[in-house]
Amino acid sequence: MVFGFGKPSPVKETEADGEIERVYHGIKQSMRVSGINLNFRTWAGFENFFPLMWDAMRPLVETRAFENAGDKIRRESVSLAEKLGKMDVRNKIELGESQQYQIQKALRLYHYINPKLLVFTAKVKQALEGETTQADQPELNTELIERGIPVRMYPMEMVADEPDDERLAAIFEDIKETLSLSSINSDYRTLGLWADYLEAAWKQLKPIVQSDEYKTASGSLRETARDLASRLPAVQLSRQQVEDAGEDADKILETTEAFERLLPSLIINVSLLSLDWKEAQELFESPFPAETRKYIQGGSR
Amino acid sequence: MNWKDFQAKQKVAEVGERFVSYVDEGEGDPVILIHGIPTWGYQWHKLIPVLAKQNRVLAPDLIGFGYSDKRDNFDRSIGRQAEMIDAWMEKIGIEKANIVAHDIGGGTALRLATLFPHRVKRLCLMNCVSYDSWAIEAMIQLGHPGAYKFASASTTIATLRQMLKQGFSETPDDEILDGIFAPYTTEVGKLSLIRNATALNTNLTTEITHLLHKIEAETLILWGVDDKFQLLKFGKRLADDIPNARLIEIENARHFVMIDQPEAVAAHVSAFLEEGK
Repeated sequence: MVFGFGKPSPVKETEADGEIERVYHGIKQSMRVSGINLNFRTWAGFENFFPLMWDAMRPLVETRAFENAGDKIRRESVSLAEKLGKMDVRNKIELGESQQYQIQKALRLYHYINPKLLVFTAKVKQALEGETTQADQPELNTELIERGIPVRMYPMEMVADEPDDERLAAIFEDIKETLSLSSINSDYRTLGLWADYLEAAWKQLKPIVQSDEYKTASGSLRETARDLASRLPAVQLSRQQVEDAGEDADKILETTEAFERLLPSLIINVSLLSLDWKEAQELFESPFPAETRKYIQGGSR
Repeated sequence: MNWKDFQAKQKVAEVGERFVSYVDEGEGDPVILIHGIPTWGYQWHKLIPVLAKQNRVLAPDLIGFGYSDKRDNFDRSIGRQAEMIDAWMEKIGIEKANIVAHDIGGGTALRLATLFPHRVKRLCLMNCVSYDSWAIEAMIQLGHPGAYKFASASTTIATLRQMLKQGFSETPDDEILDGIFAPYTTEVGKLSLIRNATALNTNLTTEITHLLHKIEAETLILWGVDDKFQLLKFGKRLADDIPNARLIEIENARHFVMIDQPEAVAAHVSAFLEEGK
């Protein structure tokens, strides 16, 4: 199936208004991210569901337990990527010093946010499927973490999803075809800022993502995310609420499942690309560790 | 030169929480070229190879501009830019330099020369902002916070591109205009440019007007006489107020004097720098 077929168009940040604008701001503050990934832009197309989902998930994503779950996904991804082989992209092309610096900053952004997105997505899917939280969970760390975009986080800058540059457009088409995507993900659009790099990176990634080892690895990461999500506290979101809000719960679940299928490979790809620049030991650590929140903000939840 | 080749030459330095991308070519006395709005270091691409024959030439992108830091969490005013240039010079080990600056880069340079005089050896200003000469109407409109949602990046850049043509005596090649706007064609780039325009603040030049007479650096003022953005009368006023200043009027040139008359500008700047050796 081509991912995303039949779902509403993603809502760009510049087009967000009213409730969607409010949620986009909340996502950046609570998820601690400099931009709105394709997941959220796509969910925002379901305009009644989107604020309902976010208001249910927000208390969870601000906990240490959620942040820790993202950290575990990140570490497992780096371990899995190490076993898939070493990429050598940066030595294959000429990049200036500033370009190299910025590519690494961009990879750090996605290395941070994508694992959290996967846990988030798995949790939303479980809520919509009516799954309950596992009873045998260890004591959860419900401490609240700081809010706000980490000051050194690279902006989520992206080229257009349908770029004028013919070479870039061809790379995007190939990525979409290979991964059965209807929309190109934020990660690739960001790396499209350095077209030479993306072209060389995709050339090396493409055979890897088609291998059985890779499919096993991404399946393993997905299972870990599901397990971690199931051990997090239940959220106040159900299929019934979604239907009561006038949304098509089946279509939303289908969209959510598609993201849950896609995200593990995005995470592993970023790990593979990052291992070209950094040692695994450094990549095991969160690029933007969250401090404990010192003050509890006011405002509405 | 193609903007992509220019970008590939850029080095990078972290300055506090920000990063600055810059070109660094040649050897000898350091010369720092400071660009204006809405451009980046690329606007100097014709001057750099000429000056780099005799000097070490550095062309930073101001923060919020070009391929320097474009995050939406810092002030981009010329006051902050002057502090950033000071900190960047410290970071890369340059104690003092000749400063060549244009447009708001000139406003930044005036703040350097008045507030960080130990950093400025010789000063060359080109069609720069000063006194209450700025901001021009198009930039004020661009700087409205609502501009982010008013138009897409491509529409915003197309409008600005049309406006900017008034800054040249003859419409430059597409390659140059493509290069000037290349960093701003994304939504993040557009937003950064809007924030840069929001930061245009007349008070940051009027508050140093009373200090201009204290500038000790030898100063050359080059002015494209047909400039409609920064009028010649301000160049004349600067030449009066800065003690060791002289004004050279460049004919058949508008705001982007270094692109309209690259040979004349290169000759004047080279001679000025040689005088200081």
